[in-house]
Amino acid sequence: MTPSRFRPYLLASPAIVLLLGFFLAPMLQLGRVSLYDGGGRSGFGIGGGGFYKPNTWTFQAYRTLAGETYFREVWTFTVLLGLGVACITLLIAYPLSLFIHRLPPRAKALALTAVVLPKLANVLVLIYGLELLLSNSGPVNGLLVGLGAVSEPVAFFHNLPGVLIGETYLILPYAVLALVASLDRIDPALVPAARGLGAGPLRVFWRVTLPLSAPGIALAAMLSLIWALGAFTGPVLLGSPQELTLAVEVQRQTFENLNWPRGAATAVLMLVTLAACLVLYQVPARFLRRRGGAP
Amino acid sequence: MATNDVLRLEGLTRSFGHNAPAVNQVDLRLEAGSLFCLLGPSGCGKSTLLRLVGGYLAPDAGRVFLADVDVNDMPLERRNIGMVFQNYALFPHLTARANVAFGLEARGVPRSERRQRVDAMLDRVGLSSTERERRPRELSGGQQQRVALARALVIQPKLLLLDEPLANLDRQLREQMRLELKEILRTTGVTALLVTHDQEEALSLADRVGVMLGGRLLQTDAPRVLYNHPRTPFVAGFLGLANLLRVADAVGDMLHLEGGLSLRGKGTKDNRVMIRPEKFLLGPAAERCPTRWTGRVINTLFLGAQQMLQVAVTPAVTVRACCRPGEAGDGDEVTLGIPDDAVWIVPGEDV
Repeated sequence: MTPSRFRPYLLASPAIVLLLGFFLAPMLQLGRVSLYDGGGRSGFGIGGGGFYKPNTWTFQAYRTLAGETYFREVWTFTVLLGLGVACITLLIAYPLSLFIHRLPPRAKALALTAVVLPKLANVLVLIYGLELLLSNSGPVNGLLVGLGAVSEPVAFFHNLPGVLIGETYLILPYAVLALVASLDRIDPALVPAARGLGAGPLRVFWRVTLPLSAPGIALAAMLSLIWALGAFTGPVLLGSPQELTLAVEVQRQTFENLNWPRGAATAVLMLVTLAACLVLYQVPARFLRRRGGAP
Repeated sequence: MATNDVLRLEGLTRSFGHNAPAVNQVDLRLEAGSLFCLLGPSGCGKSTLLRLVGGYLAPDAGRVFLADVDVNDMPLERRNIGMVFQNYALFPHLTARANVAFGLEARGVPRSERRQRVDAMLDRVGLSSTERERRPRELSGGQQQRVALARALVIQPKLLLLDEPLANLDRQLREQMRLELKEILRTTGVTALLVTHDQEEALSLADRVGVMLGGRLLQTDAPRVLYNHPRTPFVAGFLGLANLLRVADAVGDMLHLEGGLSLRGKGTKDNRVMIRPEKFLLGPAAERCPTRWTGRVINTLFLGAQQMLQVAVTPAVTVRACCRPGEAGDGDEVTLGIPDDAVWIVPGEDV
């Protein structure tokens, strides 16, 4: 290898070392752990209890998961929750992004800062803040009861709505950033051009703004789905035991049930689900690129 | 009062922020079927004026009348004005055909009629049938220009606005498109208002030209009148090349100019005298002229059909004069003859 061909690798070496050492190696380790036989007693577990039987190779963990209604239910719930959160996020984020996109430059910068600001706070602080807001004696219920909209305080958490609210709240900033960026990329002359041709505001939106922001919508949907598939804090802190996601299941199998192969196999299947989503995303993304919107 | 005017502007004014008005007290009338060209340097307010007419901007003061109807409060989608944007503003996600069909769709024209009218218009602007199915990014600049023109014309607008329509094309294509544009506009009979900073474009395309400077219309006239009889020094200098000399003193029908030159003509002190370079006569013809200046050629430019000379007629004054190539060379002593009709006294001042 000549020096000039070697140089790019040299420049990238810190990143390569980091990726190999702290990403690829743990991933391989995760895969290996999922192939151990579970329930061993001679491992290095605390108090003599084993996490797995060393020096074993078996698909036992995967076979168990595949044959189990329980796991299928957790998987299905996670995917449905992900899709639901992605839909709700988009429904809220798109009008908000449209609003921010149309603001004058200074107000736009302020609005985007306000959207991203919650991301600077610790996620636990955010969740507990939400709990305070949505609790039986909190301001939201206070308002609802005060207005006479409901007679009893609404239970906003330790149930499915709680999980949806929490996850949407956590994901919204990413979706808004992706959508505002794609709206800002649209040539600002196109909307007046369409109106000059006789199209009213509604037709301009359906025929110009919406199709041209479609790549942004796809990206925002993808980000939301990926994020929601890994939902952990929301279900744990705002859900009930019914709202069990794959991420929570991994944690429970690994640290509560002490069945490392099963936890690892669950994690691997979660990654496979995410990868499948990424592949499926390529289909609409390619279609949209062909339709001529900004990539 | 009914008139034949497609467009009438009365005291149109618009400023941005606290700056001087970009468009200042502009009055204008456009007769049906005419091609009017707004000409001016960049920043003179010509594009702003176009956007005010189209309804893309609201005026601070003044009125816009379309066929005698006040349209100040009419939203732009109801004005029925076609616009060709400088960057064309084609919809990137739609094919050329769908771009052209957009305005008809918005008007609820049925599909079969729509298709027929779109094809007829694309025939007229000369876009091939394979190009019609392409998206803007797959088309060349000239083809995009044709699509933009077809899109603006297919809605049969009362008025067509063109914002620097040829500025984005390279020189050769620009000349060809200029001819085609003139032909298309003439055959459709549409009334058009065109904005350009290219004086050649304005003179060759328009029936009438308005020269703008600092938000004001300095002069509005037919191209020949504008070229031969400019009313202000700026108009004289902006259209073509002009020798402008200040009148130092006027005695009887003799004008004494700065630098000790004089010629026959009527004017007053501080008027500007304009002589176009091609109006000077050289050689034997010069001897028959009432006024003759002699000077030394200090520079020559060969321009193909003719040659441009820089002649120092006094130590302080150089003028530009045209001659046949090879008629004079660097360092030659030449006599410039000035026929009476070559002299134009610029009557006004730039505001």
